[in-house]
Amino acid sequence: MMCDPLQSLFDDPVKFLAPWFVLVPALVLLASAAAAAVMRNLIHAALCLTLSFIALGIVFIALGAEFVGLVQLLVSVGAVAMVIVFAILLTRPDQLEQSRTALAGLRPAGGAAAAFALLATLLGFIFASPLAGKPLPAAAAAPVAKIGEALMGDHVVALIVTGVLLTAALVGAAVLAMEDRP
Amino acid sequence: MTLQILLAISAALFALGLAAVLSRSNAVMILIGIELMLGAANLNFIAFWRFSDNPADLTGILFAIFSIAVAAAEAAVGLAIIILAHRNLRSVEADDASQLKG
Repeated sequence: MMCDPLQSLFDDPVKFLAPWFVLVPALVLLASAAAAAVMRNLIHAALCLTLSFIALGIVFIALGAEFVGLVQLLVSVGAVAMVIVFAILLTRPDQLEQSRTALAGLRPAGGAAAAFALLATLLGFIFASPLAGKPLPAAAAAPVAKIGEALMGDHVVALIVTGVLLTAALVGAAVLAMEDRP
Repeated sequence: MTLQILLAISAALFALGLAAVLSRSNAVMILIGIELMLGAANLNFIAFWRFSDNPADLTGILFAIFSIAVAAAEAAVGLAIIILAHRNLRSVEADDASQLKG
């Protein structure tokens, strides 16, 4: 009776349901990403992208990387998605894309074919790999204190370079988007 | 739950992002596709960290944190370029930005 799914559900509900904490948000992630890729309306696409960011953060948290999941939620949902929405509002593009070059009509079919070819190649390698069938290790924890020690210890140079990069990128973005008028 | 499932999800997410980049002509949609591909890369980092033999190293975690920071910088610069292109060309279609001079 140990193999009975219902029995294992009652024995240890958290262990039985654990894969679904990852799989359900992962399915939401794929569905909203697909919707973001095909939506004609830019605002709808940006909102679907926001939903996929939230689902990705939940996948990270369910996999045990709580800090990265929360950073993903704060940075991607709070900053990147908002900046994209603001750019859509500021540029007010005509909602529908128009074909302007001779080959533009082939673009959706070509893009889908290239993406499908890449997906088939990747899946072939993933399912052929001996590494990939590895079972889930017991538990992997990433305590915030350990992450902080690693960032301020071994990886402090990378941290400082990232800070310089962020500063330069944001100053550069402000200079680029600034009006020329005095 | 094996590593294969997570890698397949990540590959599907990357393919969706690539499809968005290649098949859309609007510059904002191209950026959305790039963000999807960056998310797929981060999912791979976290998946390999979760399944690694030595998760206490935190290698995948740190990679993902730096990758998120770089993605934020990339989004800020990309959207500033889109706003600049819109001011100069009155369009955010990638096909319209066909000259090297401003």
